[in-house]
Parts: sequence; structure tokens; C-alpha cells
Amino acid sequence: MTSIEHAASLLEEAPPAENTGERASWLQVAPMVAVLALFFGLPMLVVLVVSFFDFSRTDIIPAFIFDNYVDLFTREVTLRLYASSIKFALIVWAITLLLGFNIAYFLVFHVRGLLFQIGLFLLCTVPFLTSNIIRMISWIPFLGRNGIFNQALQGAGVTSQPLEFLLFSDFAVVVAYVHLFTLFMVVPIFNSMARIDKSLLEAARDAGAGRFRTVFEIVLPLSRTGIALGSIFVITLVMGDSFVVRTMSGGQSASVVSALQNEVAALQYPPAAASAVIMVIIVTLMVAGILRLVDVRKELAR
Amino acid sequence: MHSADGSRPWTFYFFAAFFGLFVAFLYGPMVVIYVLSFQGPTGGMTFPLNGVSLHWFDALISQSRVGDIAGSFQRSIVLAAVVAVVTVLVSVLAGLAFRRPFRGSAFAFYLAIASLIMPGLFVGLGIALTFRLLGLPTGWYSSGLGAQLTWTLPFGLLIMFAVLGRFNRSYEEAATDLGATNWQKLKEVTIPMLLPGIIGVALFGFTLSYDEIARTALAAGAKNTLPLEIWAMTTNVTSPTLYAVGAVTTIVSFFVIVVALTSIGAIQRRRSRSNT
Amino acid sequence: MTQATGSGAIGGGQVEVAGVTKRFGETVAVKELSLTIPHGSYCCLLGPSGCGKTTILRMIAGHENPTTGDVRIGGRSVVGLPQVERGTAMMFQSYALFPHRSVLDNVAFALKVRGIGLPARHNQARELLAKVQLEKFANRLPAELSGGQQQRVALARALITNPRVLLLDEPLSALDEYLRLRMRGELRRVQKELGITFVHVTHTQLEAIAVADMVVVMAQGRIEQAASARDIFVAPRNAYVARFVGGQNVLSGTVESTMNGMAAVASDKGARFAFPVGEIRPARGAKLYGSIRRDRIGVEKMLPGAKPAGGLNTTVGEVHTLENQGSYVKVTIDLDNGEEFVAHVPDDTFFRNPLDIGDKVEARWSASDVKLLDDGPIAFEAAAVEARAASAD
Repeated sequence: MTSIEHAASLLEEAPPAENTGERASWLQVAPMVAVLALFFGLPMLVVLVVSFFDFSRTDIIPAFIFDNYVDLFTREVTLRLYASSIKFALIVWAITLLLGFNIAYFLVFHVRGLLFQIGLFLLCTVPFLTSNIIRMISWIPFLGRNGIFNQALQGAGVTSQPLEFLLFSDFAVVVAYVHLFTLFMVVPIFNSMARIDKSLLEAARDAGAGRFRTVFEIVLPLSRTGIALGSIFVITLVMGDSFVVRTMSGGQSASVVSALQNEVAALQYPPAAASAVIMVIIVTLMVAGILRLVDVRKELAR
Repeated sequence: MHSADGSRPWTFYFFAAFFGLFVAFLYGPMVVIYVLSFQGPTGGMTFPLNGVSLHWFDALISQSRVGDIAGSFQRSIVLAAVVAVVTVLVSVLAGLAFRRPFRGSAFAFYLAIASLIMPGLFVGLGIALTFRLLGLPTGWYSSGLGAQLTWTLPFGLLIMFAVLGRFNRSYEEAATDLGATNWQKLKEVTIPMLLPGIIGVALFGFTLSYDEIARTALAAGAKNTLPLEIWAMTTNVTSPTLYAVGAVTTIVSFFVIVVALTSIGAIQRRRSRSNT
Repeated sequence: MTQATGSGAIGGGQVEVAGVTKRFGETVAVKELSLTIPHGSYCCLLGPSGCGKTTILRMIAGHENPTTGDVRIGGRSVVGLPQVERGTAMMFQSYALFPHRSVLDNVAFALKVRGIGLPARHNQARELLAKVQLEKFANRLPAELSGGQQQRVALARALITNPRVLLLDEPLSALDEYLRLRMRGELRRVQKELGITFVHVTHTQLEAIAVADMVVVMAQGRIEQAASARDIFVAPRNAYVARFVGGQNVLSGTVESTMNGMAAVASDKGARFAFPVGEIRPARGAKLYGSIRRDRIGVEKMLPGAKPAGGLNTTVGEVHTLENQGSYVKVTIDLDNGEEFVAHVPDDTFFRNPLDIGDKVEARWSASDVKLLDDGPIAFEAAAVEARAASAD
């Protein structure tokens, strides 16, 4: 995103000598830091602390024990939940990347006229600003046993029985994820691609590179910052989700976070906190892995 | 990429079809539930339509068993408005701060990014635990508001970066040269010029709050916001009321989006006219 | 390293643009234009922005196709041919160096695409980098080079396929003044050395005259004059070229009489000029246009109260601006009729009896230095409008 690039370029600059400008910046950034420290930093610290607490049926008991982590690592279900979450994350990542790259490519390189480009871009963006839950449940009449999709298939004589796997299944979960999160891939890739000088493509063509060669040699490498940022968004969103997986799988699939939500519902805060801590570590590792492959800061400063 | 004689290469048609399908994929299901929300009183959750009626919209208001739609709707609107205002004030200020290098800028930036990509439910869990340990009651207007700000502030900040990245500072320098004080400079030059971006921040603040669920779920306290109410409905309401509620909330979202985009468009148009 | 002339035989680098029109929607960028650029020549397309010069270049390169008409290279029509089969290479205004590739890989890119193995293509690229004195920078990224170095990389990258024709789109516009002057000499030297055709687009008059064998002055999608650089400068065909290329003053007036190949012409304000008309015998009352070089004009200060001599080939006015150009001083004179008239006075002449702004002066020249221009009244008006637009941008 241009915004992150902008920030990154600022961070590259050497720290200034102390001056009034710096004091003004501190004052200006203070409200944001205060809100985030209070409602994000402190609570995350509390989660870490509580993950070592003991608990009873109704209460959490201050302590310093590792039982929650031991339980987590010894339960067989943990591995299954992580496998499920990572499976969803990888499938959705692959699909949204394919879709996002192609949509961004179309908007940047095929659509002529800035106004038209902005219009189509907004067309993709507007659903993002409407309710995720509504967008999710809007698949129910589509995919249900008697849904539009099955009616159409049977009407066309493709199938004689309604397909059962469409709704309340992993398939439905993936469809909903792709529906909700593709935009997070489109926007950063679009931003990266829009900055590619069009004459680079002409230069590649002059050199004899065909359409696909140009995409692989020029467009893809120059979009990798956007791809990395989009991947971070999509993977963290899928890994951190519980609502989609619950609704769209009809309770048949679970994710790490939906299991955590169950624990919270049962007032088992410390195990939930331990689970959250492990999840944060894993997501952080994934993000770090992406950043290792693509040095976003260096790329952005380019 | 287009070919030399200005005609479209075959890939254009391929991509255009692809894009068309994607837009259909994006909007199709939404359109269907708006249509189904006008289902006749005897109709079900899917096609065919058994007549056309406002029955399910009526049920939304009159039937108490679908939950506290009206109350949660009011709470959500108030909360979204407050979040929008706070997001604009705080993230515009923070955006301005990042225009100069300052010690701690990396910390503030990464704090915001971490807050953005942290799974929302964890933030809610943390806030709920913090309030519990401090012995404070959670509520949509206190812990709920804070939870949503951890989501909207980073977004607002990123939008401000994008807007400020394109902002030419010589306008401000000109104002200073002409004798404007810092406050006058901000009020007379910076804020008016950034207005379209600021409206964008407000739009994001409002709609993200109005639709937020993951962070709010554990931090909202006893009274639900609208998305939480709808979330509860998905598990126990199996009638087109669900669609009716979806249609109503989406209309509100669209209304806000259209107001914001047309005002941004009007400002830009006026500026491009006055430039020529 | 020897440079084979692409795929063509001798003369394979001749470029012909035949009756080409190019429309973009409603706007016509190029109108019915024909031009032949001989093999091995350095041709500059010169004109203000929007005159269609870049469109011509892009049609030769194959980045645009003509709406009607034909483009031939080495005698063969190339319309619709892919870029690689044309034997052309293009150097972009922005250089279009791939930012994610090293200098070496940028230069070797065309060979990579052709499936040439890594050692072979790197060797060839290194040779070319050595030619432009950049072998030390082979492993840098383009962003780590200066503007002048990037320009040389772009040149090396364009030359790696041994093109018959090199197309340069405003190649010097991104450089500072000092580098621009150095690089234009360098481009000319490379072109002579390779013996291939260069087509160079520019909006800078002096750049075109400095490097080119052949200068094509364009306006509004048409050619105003295509001639040698020297002819463009000393013998502009019409008032537009005279004004756009500079170095000339345009005179006009109606014919009073013709005698011995000289026409006596009176301007609107009563000044009288002699135009050499050769064989032409213009009718009395016809409007004629002529040009006189700025460096062929003598300027003399008039004493206060003195009446102008008022002879043939003189004009009277007030000094408006003075610019010392080193070897000469540019004197701009406001004529009584509000027009501007420029004289380049050699420095030693000027400083013997210096002028000051506001001085009343008389400018005089020899009738034999006046060149008749090929304009009618309407063309003149149009050219004046364009020339003003050109000097504004």
C-alpha cells in the first residue's frame, strides 16, 4: 500500500536532532498511541499474563502455572484445529492471490481511462464497506440443499440429486472466505502494479518478450510488495477467524479461534488466553516468513 | 496492455469476462437476499418467491422473538458515529505527526500495524479480561468503543499516509511565508485541502464500526450491537427476517457510502474546475 | 565489437513513412504524413509537444499502428509486425530500466528472452557495457546509478539486439544541462560508429541542429520542413520554421514593385524592405514573407532628436532586453508596430559602443541576406499562433 510505503520511507530517515518539530509530532501521535496502548497493548499483555493463571468453574485465579500450555500441547485436538486453520489459510491464500493478481492486472493494464479505472475499483471496494455477516449469510440461499445453485444444476439436468456438500461444509467456508477477503489482496497488488512504469512493458516487448513472459519477468517481481502485504492480510484474517467457519460449516468444521471462543463461552479464560498466545506466535512466524521472502521495507524504500 | 492499433488483444476479453464474473460473485448473493427479503409470508429461505410482501420487514419490528433489532440498531449507529469522529480526530493528528521523522515513530507505526493484523477476537478477549481484572463492567460505549478503535485507527492512519503522501507541502510553506500561524495554516490550508481524504477516514471509521463483530463480540458487554444481534439471529432465526435485517443494514451502509463518495466527488470536481 | 546491420542488406535501415494518418478517437495526431529517412542517417523529429512526433516514433517502433498508410523499414512494410521482427530498438524517455534487475541483466534481457544461455548473454552484455564505460557498474541496480549512467545503460540495452534503427524518445530531457550537452555529442559519435539509423524525437531546437543530419520540423501532425540541419537553420521554408527553429526574424509586407529579381515591399507601418524573389514575379499588392538571420543585422543607436535615415532594409525601435551570450549579445528590439525583432550583435562590436535598455535604435541589413518564405497570409497567421504556443511550452 502506498500508505505503508510512505511510512516506510519515513522510517528510513535518520533520527533527527531534538527539536520543536519532534515534540509536535509526539503530541500529535500521542492520542493514537494512548488509545492503542490502552485497548490493544495492555489487553494483549493481560492475555499473556492470564495464560499462566489458574481457573475454577466461575473464576480466574492469579497464579503462575504452565498447565494451560501443557494441556494445549497434549490435547490431540489442538493439532487438528491448527491443521484445519492452516489448511483454510493456504487454500484461501492461493485462490485470493490468483483472483487478486488477475483483477489488479486487468484494472491497471487493461482498463483505459482513469475515471473508468476508479469506477471499477470502487465497484470492487464497496462490498468491503458493508456487513461481513450479511455477505456471509447471503450465500445460504445460494448454496443450500434447495438453493439456487442446486436448483440450477438440477434444472439443467446436470445432477439428479441436490449436491449436499455445497452448504455447511468446508467448501462453503472457502467460498465465504474468498468472497470476504479477496479485496484485501486486490488493493495492495493494485497499488504496486499501478506504480509500474508502462514503458517497462513496452521495453520488454521490444526485447522480444511475449505477454506471459512480460508478466513473469516484469509485472510479477515488481508486484511482490503488494502480493506480500495482501498475503499478510488474508492469512491473518483467515487464521484469526471464527465466525465464518462456524456459520458456513454449520458447526462441522472448527478453527483454532472458534475453539477458543467456545472456551471463552465456558468462562475458561486462562486456556483461551494460552491458545491465543500460541496462535499469535504462529501468525507472527508466518508474517515474518513472508517478510523474509519479500523485504517489504527495502522494496518500499526503492 | 493494449496492442498497437488500439484494438483490444484477446486477453482483454478474457480478463473482462473474468472481472465480470468476479463482480457477479461479489454482488450476486447480496442481490439475491435483498430480493428474498420481500418473500411472501408463506415463503421460505430460498427461491421460489411465494408472492411479494413486506411481511418480514414488519416482523423485524413487531416480533420480539427475533431479538432487540431496534435497540441494537440505535446503539450501532451511535457507536459508529462516535468511532468515526474519534477516528478522524486521532488518525488525522497521527498522520500529521508522521510527516516529520521523530524518535519512536517506528514504535508507533508498528503498534498500529500489529493492532491491525491481530486477530480481532483476541483483542476482544484481552479487553474483556482487562476490564474483568480491573473490576470494571464492559459496555458497548466503553470497552466496545475501545475495541473498535484498535481496528479503525490503524486503517485511518494508513489512509492518512496515502493522502499525505500525495500532499504537496509547499502549500503550507506558502501559508507560513504569508504570515499564517501554525493553527491558521492547519485550519485554512491543510485541513481544507485534505478534506476528501478526511471524509474517506470518516467513511471507513463509520462503516468498519457499524459492521464490526470480531473485536466487539467479547467486549460489548450485556447489550449487543447490531452485527452481534444479527450473528445471534443466524443461529436461531430460520426465516427471511434474516434477509430483511440484511437489506436494512446494507441500505444504511450504502447510504453512508454514497453520501461520503458524492461529497468527495463534489469537492474534487469543484477543485478541478477552479484549477482550469 | 562489430555491429552487423540486423537482418537487412545494405540500406536495411531506411525508414519510410508513407501517407500515414493516425487517429486517437476524435483527435488526429498525424495527418497524411510521408517521410523517408535514409539508411545510416541521424534524423531528428522536432516540434512542440502534441505535434505528433512521438506518435511517428511509436509507429516506427510498433507501439502504435497507423490508422491508414504504411511504415516500411529497409523497403519492407512492418505494419502489424511484432517489435522484434522490425529490427528496431527503442530508448524510452524515462529509460524504462527494469528496477528489479541489475544493470547487466537489464542489458542482457533481450538475449535472455531469446533463450541465450547465461554465460553467453552476460559476456555480450559486458562487452556493450564496456563500450559505454559502465562495466564497473554491471551488478548495481538502476536506481543506484546517476541519470547519465542510466541513460547509457538504456543505450546499451537498446543496442544489444544489433538493431537497424534506433529510436530515441526525448533521450536527453531527463538530464541536466551539462550532461545533456555531453550526451548529445556522445549519441552522435555512437551513431557514426555503428552506422545505423537513429531517429531522435526532441522539442529542443538546438539539440536537433547539434546532432542531426536531417531535421524534420513538425506542427499539428504535419511536416513543415524536412531538410539538413544547416538548411533548417539558414533557409527555413516558412515563417513557422523560421520562428520555431529560431535564429531568424520574420518580415512581411505588400509588394510595391519588382525589378531585377528584387521586390520592394512595404510593411503595414511604412518600413520598406527589399526581398530577393529570383524568377518569381509577384503581383503588386501581394503579401510576401521573408526571413533575415539575427546575426546578419547591424544595430545603431540613434541620437536624441535625430530622424531615422529611413532607407531600404532598415527598421526603427526601442531596445527591450539585452542578453549577453558570451560571444554575442542578443538585442531584442520593440518595433513601432509592437512586434519583436532580434539582433545578435558580436560582442566586440557591441561593447565598442554599448546600448542600453530603452535606447532608440535603427536596425539595418543587406537585401541579399533576406530569404523569401513560402507563406500565404493564412499560413502566416497559423504559424505565428503555433510558434507562440511552442515557445510557451
